[in-house]
Amino acid sequence: MRHVASVAGRELRSLFVSPVAYGVLSLFSMLAGMFFILDLGWFEQVLFQFQQYPGQLADFNLNDGLLHEFYGSISVILLFLIPGITMGVYAAEKTNGTEELLLTSPLTIWDIVLGKFAAGAIFIAVLIGIVGLFAGMLFLYGDPEVGKTASGLLGLLLTGWTYVAIGGFASAVTRSQIVAFLITLVVLVTLLLLPGIAEFGIAGSAPGVSDTLRYLSVQLHFDPLLNGLVDTADLTYFAVMIGSFLVITKAAVESARWR
Amino acid sequence: MIEARGLTKRYGDLVAVEEVSFSLARGEVVGFLGPNGAGKTTTIRMLTGFLPPTDGTAVIAGHDIFGDPIAARRAIGYLPETPPLYPEMTVRSFLEYVARIKDVPRVERRAAVDRALERTALTDVRRQVIGTLSRGFRQRVGLAQAIVHNPPVLILDEPTAGLDPLQIREIRALITELTAPSQGDTQQTVILSTHILAEVDAICRRVILLHQGRKVVDAPLSELTSGGRSLDQIFTDHTTHDAADKFAFPSGPVVESESGSES
Repeated sequence: MRHVASVAGRELRSLFVSPVAYGVLSLFSMLAGMFFILDLGWFEQVLFQFQQYPGQLADFNLNDGLLHEFYGSISVILLFLIPGITMGVYAAEKTNGTEELLLTSPLTIWDIVLGKFAAGAIFIAVLIGIVGLFAGMLFLYGDPEVGKTASGLLGLLLTGWTYVAIGGFASAVTRSQIVAFLITLVVLVTLLLLPGIAEFGIAGSAPGVSDTLRYLSVQLHFDPLLNGLVDTADLTYFAVMIGSFLVITKAAVESARWR
Repeated sequence: MIEARGLTKRYGDLVAVEEVSFSLARGEVVGFLGPNGAGKTTTIRMLTGFLPPTDGTAVIAGHDIFGDPIAARRAIGYLPETPPLYPEMTVRSFLEYVARIKDVPRVERRAAVDRALERTALTDVRRQVIGTLSRGFRQRVGLAQAIVHNPPVLILDEPTAGLDPLQIREIRALITELTAPSQGDTQQTVILSTHILAEVDAICRRVILLHQGRKVVDAPLSELTSGGRSLDQIFTDHTTHDAADKFAFPSGPVVESESGSES
């Protein structure tokens, strides 16, 4: 545990002494702000139109009309940002030669894998904290549901952590950061498209296959959280995804010894 | 302190290291000699626990590298061929990190880092980012990370490779100083891998010569050079002998099979 903290601490420190963390943080804040304003504008417009139909106005609120869209856009931003954050996490150790230092130190492979994941998870938590600030602003001017607002943030956090676990694995299987970036992006985009793929061709006609594909999709477990539904089945999904990718990452790191 | 028992590393049919055994007592300083590709680095990587041997094992400071790998690794200070450095960290924060992962107790960490900085003459650049340092300085940081936890075993893999003559002299002086037991230090057992003979002459008291993955010489330096022969001659004798054979019979097995078909 002490070692996990040491590895995580170094990882975070390296992130913050280089421009990477600041670049990602400012880019993320900018994009989040942009989407927030766009979604806000859209919300206002719809609200204005709905004023002629009081029946529909009753069903329209900040959570479903604004935060739902906003959180959705954030999940897409995460999909493109996280590969950039995680690409170097193991690949850089190999090019620095520090892989040899880590593997000849009195650390277990789990210390390394968990430490690096924890660092990524903390960084993502900071990003989601920024999203929380935007959502929090709404409480000053309106009254969104606290539960729904929070469960959406939880969904974003878990989605981000899943992406970090996947990105870490991609970085562990290659020496090149660019390759790690591309592998992560391809896997994440594929995960995003899975529900669509599940409807297609052979996959669509075989219920077992399409159900499995659908189950693997991040989106279908993120959506309930977005709608305020915290289901253990969805939480289990995220835990299983993160856990499995950490296990294969551990195997990939260990394989350096056998080459 | 270090005991290698039949260390063997095979990659498929290729044998990188075969049946290398030796035993080093506390405080011994040994030169690991051999031409490039002789298996020095592979042997070292097996001792440090980076590569698992295909066969055989090693005992470091009483801990088997298979039985208790964590304790064995804790006892080793290791400078790999390319010094393992994070270019974005400062010298001091890097050494602090290494001290942490090498299990230096929290209360002793500060002092341990200060001492390593002092012994490698890095105190003046301790706040500098490693990426901005010259090669000679980086090599010193590499040495500092190897000694920061004051390990009983020190393994240095070609510590002067790629340095200019001035830097080589510096690093060599540093190693001599490090290997000379000073007050209050645990006497370190040192393996110094190199293909530069002068280095061995200057620093080591015992020589292990590897050639084509096998140990061909293992003797005290004084004994080897007692007959008036230079280390250079010994090295050449043991490492070119086989090569000469090879040139004489470039395809040994084929010659055999031809004679077989004739009879």
